Amino acid sequence: MAMQPHSKKRVCYYYDSDIGNYYYGQGHPMKPHRIRMTHNLLLNYGLYRKMEIYRPHKATADEMTKFHSDDYIRFLRSIRPDNMSEYNKQMQRFNVGEDCPVFDGLYEFCQLSAGGSVAAAVKLNKQASEICINWGGGLHHAKKSEASGFCYVNDIVLGILELLKYHQRVLYIDIDVHHGDGVEEAFYTTDRVMTVSFHKYGEYFPGTGDLRDIGAGKGKYYAVNIPLRDGMDDDSYESIFVPIISKVMETFQPSAVVLQCGADSLTGDRLGCFNLTVRGHGRCVELVKRFGLPFLLVGGGGYTIRNVSRCWTYETSVALGVEIANELPYNDYFEYFGPDFKLHISPSNMSNQNTPEYLEKIKNRLFENLRMLPHAPGVQVQAIPEDAVNDESEDEDKVDKDERLPQSEKDKRITGDGELSDSEDEGEGRRDNRSYRAPQRKRPRLDKDATPAKDDAKAEDTKDDVKNISNMEEPKKEVPPNA
Amino acid sequence: MAANMYRVGDCVYFETSSTSPYQIRRIEELNKTASGNVEAKVMCFYRRRDLPNPLIQLADKHQMAQSEDSPVAMKLKKICLKTPIGEEQAAQAVLDPAIVAMEEESTDLPGTDGLAPKQRHQAKHRELFLSRHVETLPATHIRGKCTVTLLNETESLLSYLNKDDAFFYCLVFDPSQKTLLADKGEIKVGSRYQTEVTNLLKEGEEDSRCSSELETLVWTPAHGLSDRQIDQFLVVARSVGTFARALDCSSSVKQPSLHMSAAAASRDITLFHAMDTLHKSGYSIEAALSSLVPASGPVLCRDEMEEWSASEANLFEEALDKYGKDFADIRQDFLPWKTLKNLVEYYYMWKTTDRYVQQKRVKAVEAESKLKQVYIPNYNKPNPALVANAASAGKAAVLNGGTNGTAAVAPSLCASCQVTNSNQWYSWGPQHLQYRLCGSCWQYWKKYGGLKTAGVFGESETEAARTGRAEGEDTALSVSHRPHRCTVINCAKEFKLRAHLARHVATAHGGAGEGARPVMKTRAAFYLRASPFTRLARRLARALRRPRHYARSPFSPINLHQVKHECTIAMAGLGAGAEMRGAGPTGVPRVRGAVGAVATRLAVAMGTAAPRAQEWLTLTPRDRMPVPNHVAFPKPPKAPDGSLMYERVLSRAELEARRNEANAPPATLAPHAPPALKRRAYDDINGLDRGASGAAREVAAPPPAKRPNKHPAPMQRPSREQYAAMCARAQATGQPLPAHVFAHVNGKPTNLTGRGGRRHVISWMDAPDDLYFRATEVAKAARRTLSCGELRRGARAPWRAMRSAIIAASLGAVAGGAAGAGAVAAKAAGAGAGAGASGAAGAAPLQLVILD
Repeated sequence: MAMQPHSKKRVCYYYDSDIGNYYYGQGHPMKPHRIRMTHNLLLNYGLYRKMEIYRPHKATADEMTKFHSDDYIRFLRSIRPDNMSEYNKQMQRFNVGEDCPVFDGLYEFCQLSAGGSVAAAVKLNKQASEICINWGGGLHHAKKSEASGFCYVNDIVLGILELLKYHQRVLYIDIDVHHGDGVEEAFYTTDRVMTVSFHKYGEYFPGTGDLRDIGAGKGKYYAVNIPLRDGMDDDSYESIFVPIISKVMETFQPSAVVLQCGADSLTGDRLGCFNLTVRGHGRCVELVKRFGLPFLLVGGGGYTIRNVSRCWTYETSVALGVEIANELPYNDYFEYFGPDFKLHISPSNMSNQNTPEYLEKIKNRLFENLRMLPHAPGVQVQAIPEDAVNDESEDEDKVDKDERLPQSEKDKRITGDGELSDSEDEGEGRRDNRSYRAPQRKRPRLDKDATPAKDDAKAEDTKDDVKNISNMEEPKKEVPPNA
Repeated sequence: MAANMYRVGDCVYFETSSTSPYQIRRIEELNKTASGNVEAKVMCFYRRRDLPNPLIQLADKHQMAQSEDSPVAMKLKKICLKTPIGEEQAAQAVLDPAIVAMEEESTDLPGTDGLAPKQRHQAKHRELFLSRHVETLPATHIRGKCTVTLLNETESLLSYLNKDDAFFYCLVFDPSQKTLLADKGEIKVGSRYQTEVTNLLKEGEEDSRCSSELETLVWTPAHGLSDRQIDQFLVVARSVGTFARALDCSSSVKQPSLHMSAAAASRDITLFHAMDTLHKSGYSIEAALSSLVPASGPVLCRDEMEEWSASEANLFEEALDKYGKDFADIRQDFLPWKTLKNLVEYYYMWKTTDRYVQQKRVKAVEAESKLKQVYIPNYNKPNPALVANAASAGKAAVLNGGTNGTAAVAPSLCASCQVTNSNQWYSWGPQHLQYRLCGSCWQYWKKYGGLKTAGVFGESETEAARTGRAEGEDTALSVSHRPHRCTVINCAKEFKLRAHLARHVATAHGGAGEGARPVMKTRAAFYLRASPFTRLARRLARALRRPRHYARSPFSPINLHQVKHECTIAMAGLGAGAEMRGAGPTGVPRVRGAVGAVATRLAVAMGTAAPRAQEWLTLTPRDRMPVPNHVAFPKPPKAPDGSLMYERVLSRAELEARRNEANAPPATLAPHAPPALKRRAYDDINGLDRGASGAAREVAAPPPAKRPNKHPAPMQRPSREQYAAMCARAQATGQPLPAHVFAHVNGKPTNLTGRGGRRHVISWMDAPDDLYFRATEVAKAARRTLSCGELRRGARAPWRAMRSAIIAASLGAVAGGAAGAGAVAAKAAGAGAGAGASGAAGAAPLQLVILD
């Protein structure tokens, strides 16, 4: 889709020229070099000159312990390949050694990756930028006191923590092929961060991300997991991404978004098993960008490095709102992109095990969960100023979500008849026709160009079960759009 | 045809036994073997019927827990379903009381709510259990594709039932631990896992964060320059770089042409530097230009690619060859003056060079044996279970039924759907029950491992599974928990453990009698470590006087009590003296001393002065090399035209003739000699006879070949002469024998014509990778001339040439009557491993027959 000229944003990009030289070890699929390849492509595509380029500072131990435990960071700071033998016990404890090897400059690498995301978040907080990019970040598996899945320090959590200073609600979206378990776990019990992860599930690292994992305590319903099967292609990805994200935007109403752009969901990835093209992957960036919220883009997985750099280059161009040629420009690593030397890649002929019915069922289940959110749109008739404390929501937090709602609450959620529309149980075609047609009253909250999809599902969000059932029974009840 | 194209990652049916259901596997790798066959490395899915009983119960409970979103279900999700490893204790698997209670409440298979009983029954056939177990199977055994997906709670089981070849799984089975696990990670909750959420800044509260501390601006788009101006400046920067290279001596050596200098100056490092310069000079082209050409001369930016000298590059490639991509080691041993970062950066640039591309091509050729997909045509051969003539099926069954008198049901009925009309009938279930399945039910059975309907003829599904297994199925894991039934006719007693069954057979049916058929075949090779006492017992106990017999039929039970009894008596009575000595270890490790000492001793023996500076390390000059007094493989003389002349290898008859004149055949062997004169097809295969006779000539003629062992059985054999010539050629050129000499058997039963016209069918199922040694009468006779010790030694070390019988005789190991049998080579089979083959004193050709 061609980008509109008015979608041009102020983009800040974080990069340290040292990052490409960290080396996880022989045979290790994680290659920081891919970030440098992306950077060189950006320069030669002429995208470099269109962004603010920053070299991030190295995050300090103090900054990292905002999330991580002190002893874990202390351990990361002191471990080196030449003193590993002294740390046997701790290495086991912190899960450092196999997947997450000790390599030269490990701590610096973590500092740079975390430093970029933190600086980017601060940038967004200061409203000095609309979109920040840190391809060196996105290490979403790292836990509070444990390394996992090639990730040591969770730059995303650190970035989100920074964003939370200014934003009441932050949305985290993860399109890595692996589940974003580190981020989900960190914010599992809070309602201020919603984590949405699209990932391959079933006999796959890290094993978490079941549809039924929805958060705990206050954070119940604030973790959204979309378990997928092998062979996701562009069309099916979009068919699930668009409605889920639209619904999440509508019900959660975040004021900032973090998107983890793990490129291992691309076709032909060394570790992945999806069938997305660069275009389909970039489409997610485009869709999220349209909501016009402060937007932090981070990297993540991606183990076929030529495709990773293609993907992130394209996504940078999407963030910038610039079209770039399919022909790759000459650069230091040009030979990596043979034999076609093109930006875009073709999907493979692998079969897609995600049937439309399967995706539809998943979607419906998630919609049911999202309906449980206290921020149901019915409540929020008037736009809420960003960053302001939402009193209503706090009231609702006190309400036990497992209990029936008090009448007072129910009353708040009743919408006018005119807003009733068909349910999400409907077939595909109608939904596509109606997506992104936002009711008028929502507009003020969002950018003019953003066309958030808060289409049909409005009706059920009135939380009235009886009504839902009737909707399902009469799906053909057509309602004029924007009534 | 896409349907017959099998790719890595596909789930497929594998047929490993014609009577049992297909096995479901996922292709992990496809490898081309040297013989041109394709092997698939596959991951196993297990069916419900393959699981031990207690685990099936657990699986049911899990399913139930899944369907109900009860607190118990939540609990179950978290615990790992585990049964103790021991089979006996499995029944007492410790279960959460709550779960047990729940189990009692609802006996129905849940998750199948709303399903008809028949569907519920069939849904069980669609459930698989993932395992991490990987095995290798020939790709030709693939019988079609299927899909296996993780069951999602949103899906109904009906969606699987309505689709052919669709399976689901939710649990992971570990065959070695006998455990079932939910394949699920867990998000932990607690202060040790969650982060403290930062509070929103209050009104008027200052953020301590300051962007300037967190980042350094390197470039901003907010400048007055147009794209064109930037492009121009970049061109200028490159030209300055080119010029700087022209001025720089070291560069001009590396880049003799202007083109090369310009190319080097166009690398990204120059461009990045130009952008930095522009930024630092406040986006003023003028200022930037002047800083590109400071007083010290034009700026020269070189990256690692350019920085490295040719010799460093060579060192690097050499190091890469030696250490792989272990840059720390490379740095330490090859390029200590470089930093690790230098190395990594250089490595990634080096990958763009032609040198790397060439290397990659070599690697690509190597990787060709790894296939991405394979085409397997539809398998059309009729299944052996197919009843030959549908019309006469009933009659045949009656006849058969008459013979064993146990035909229980009208056999013209399908055991599953009870139709009477079908194009094809398959015999199914235990032989004596004479069950038949119609074509479609047979297909169902093969694919889903069960019958369409449960409880027909009162036969429960588990029993069906068991009977199927009794037919030689090798699902080792599942047999364990089911009763073992004695196979002796008119007995059919059941035992919990196989050991019990074995004891029963040994006692009730007589140990020496017909051995109990193995209830199951173990796939894994085993190794029997004989203790000194065991070895002693083998000699002492009368019951064990037939070691070869027992080796050949390892299933026949041995009465242990009797053996023990005999042993104790023998040991007490005979004082064990001589026999003990005979059985005890004879060899004492030789003490050779330090290498230096040996060298000195050798030097002294050679008559030279004791070497001081380790002269023994220098090579002996060729002319001073000791000449062996016997050359085992002398080079044949050269013909006038320069080709090597090979001695004609004697034919069988000639050999016999020679043997007869060399050694008067001993009386004991005489009866066996005539058959040896006739060549039999298999002689070439085991080569024993020839070995025996060849060796009999004491000093053997130059042997025709080195041992072409480890080759598959020859099917179309070349003639002896051809063969000898081929062997000699192979030996002369140092190459292995051409593959076509040995046709590959490829997993199909091989028929070897044996003595007396009896056919010996060796199914690959029975002997996967084993050797098969078929002993001829002569071999047997020869063996008899060997002592027990010799035989055993030979069996233990089958690669070693047997000592000639002469030596054996001098050692007094030959049984009295068999003396003078000539040099005989024979090996007794190791009990488990199948059999050995022979090597004669004269290094007669030895062939091992490997049945694939």
